[in-house]
Amino acid sequence: MPVITLTSVKKSYFIKNIEYPILKGINLTVNKGEFVALMGPSGSGKSTLLNIIGGLDKSTEGKYIINEKLVSNLSSDELADIRNIYIGFIFQNFNLIPTLSTLDNVALPSFYSGDVNYKKAEELLSMVGLSDRLSNKPNELSGGQRQRVAIARSLINDPEFILADEPTGNLDSKTGEEIMKLIVSLKKDYGKTILMVTHDPHLAKLTDRIIYLKDGYITKKKNV
Amino acid sequence: MTKYSFYIKLFRLSWQSLRSNVFRSFLTTLGIIIGAATIIIVVALGEGAKRDIEAQYSNMSVTTILINGPSTEGSQSKLSVDDIPAIQAISTVSDAVPMLTGKVNISTANNTASFNVVGTYPNFSDVANLTYERGGFFDQTDEDDHTKVVILGATVAEEIYGTRNPDVLGQSIVLGKKEFEIVGIAKYKGGAFGPISIDESVFTPYSSSYRYILGKNGKFSFNVNAQSVDLLEETMSSLTKVLREEHKIAANTPEDFKLKDMGATVASAQGSSQTMAILLGAVGFIVLLVGGIGIMNIMYVTVSERTKEIGIRKAIGAKDNHVLTQFLFEAFILTGVGYLIGTISSIGIYFILLSLGVKIVFVWWSLVLSFIITFTVGMFFGYYPAKKAAALDPIDALRYE
Repeated sequence: MPVITLTSVKKSYFIKNIEYPILKGINLTVNKGEFVALMGPSGSGKSTLLNIIGGLDKSTEGKYIINEKLVSNLSSDELADIRNIYIGFIFQNFNLIPTLSTLDNVALPSFYSGDVNYKKAEELLSMVGLSDRLSNKPNELSGGQRQRVAIARSLINDPEFILADEPTGNLDSKTGEEIMKLIVSLKKDYGKTILMVTHDPHLAKLTDRIIYLKDGYITKKKNV
Repeated sequence: MTKYSFYIKLFRLSWQSLRSNVFRSFLTTLGIIIGAATIIIVVALGEGAKRDIEAQYSNMSVTTILINGPSTEGSQSKLSVDDIPAIQAISTVSDAVPMLTGKVNISTANNTASFNVVGTYPNFSDVANLTYERGGFFDQTDEDDHTKVVILGATVAEEIYGTRNPDVLGQSIVLGKKEFEIVGIAKYKGGAFGPISIDESVFTPYSSSYRYILGKNGKFSFNVNAQSVDLLEETMSSLTKVLREEHKIAANTPEDFKLKDMGATVASAQGSSQTMAILLGAVGFIVLLVGGIGIMNIMYVTVSERTKEIGIRKAIGAKDNHVLTQFLFEAFILTGVGYLIGTISSIGIYFILLSLGVKIVFVWWSLVLSFIITFTVGMFFGYYPAKKAAALDPIDALRYE
């Protein structure tokens, strides 16, 4: 069953009425429980595609469906709901809020969905091995610990899929491996659907499928 | 979860964010603190000035006209009790009280003090509305016979005998060099009557004060009342005409007397105190305005500094409205805390001013006034940065470092 379906998705930027096409027609399907890697050189349109899939940006043309819900053409408030409920974000630079405690950071998305769930936030933190760090601020944690907090946060609203943007890019290789183990276990042990952007072919090999993006097109799909 | 507890949570988040930089939050709210305190103190000062003026003129009637000799030295005024029949002949005059006043040393066996002595006619008691602890005023016989009798004002009695109600009727007291018999102690009155303070004066028949105490050294004046306020101007011009005739002043020669309309004097004193209050109020408002701009500045800085944070919040699902509400809550908390600290400081300042003898009266509605103005200003200036924060694009905001 497809969780993400993109059909002929195009994206152009217009500067002084001149069109700069970035995505030139993307067709992509990610099924439930799949772990997919997205690779491509810089300038390939990877970030733009990620923003569209993440509900942060809108496509110029084409259809984007999450779990039978048409996402293209939603208003910005409706997109906020999509990001909040359907998508769990894991960023390269963690993106935790420095003034909030670990527990507050994890609970924050549930807060915007109107269903504050501190109990679940605690459970998720203990799942990522940080049950003794609930009241610490992000700057009191190591990089690996911060990414664990971010992973816990991405799961709080039980999203349709997890969007991981180079999740180990800011970590040393040993910590990166641990984080990758955790992300792989999200798929293996919890059946989560994951779309991960990465530069690292070794990490890509841990996924079910690799998609290559070049010059605004998907050029290759490879089953690992 | 209810909407209600959602806002409580949002409020808590705002509070945490402010607490994470206490010193800057304090600086932000300093303008509000000073503004709120200024408004409360200004209103209290204005009220104090108003009460003071009211007390000073409390015995004055708006129908009163004071007649003095000219203040210029050397010019001898012919103003005297001899003018009374002519003044009373004016149909619009209801009463005329002569007063001869001057400083006198008052002494008993044990005590000496210096106060005003007022030589006047028996009708003074009614016109000034005097009441008595003991005894009463003198009568026409005393005036005709220039009897040496005296009525003491409340402050005089207190100063000399240690109480406002001393049991001294019939006892004698020395005014200047002559012994007078005490026949009355007036009740405390407060305020002034024409040129004198009733409580700080002693009263004797006019004839006795002239003959035994003051002579030509006394200052002579009349306290004349018109029959109604409408007749005031007419009465004043009649008085001028009659007195010119009485004193045989040739045309084109300046008068040897001055008329003063008390109603106008009171009104102008009240007017100037009100002007003062409005002026001070404007200062308070400007301080608040500057305070508000301070809030806006710092909040703009805050929004720029927290662009990344806003981006994160939006990326994980915060709507524009959530961000707007959070920043408005922060403005609200800053304003509220500023108002509270300002109010508490103003109470401190109030007591300091009070102990320094400044005439200041606290009025409860100044709290409401300062509350309304403070919050209007705080929220008005807090709104624009909040709006800016809410309108940030999440992609740009996330990329911001």
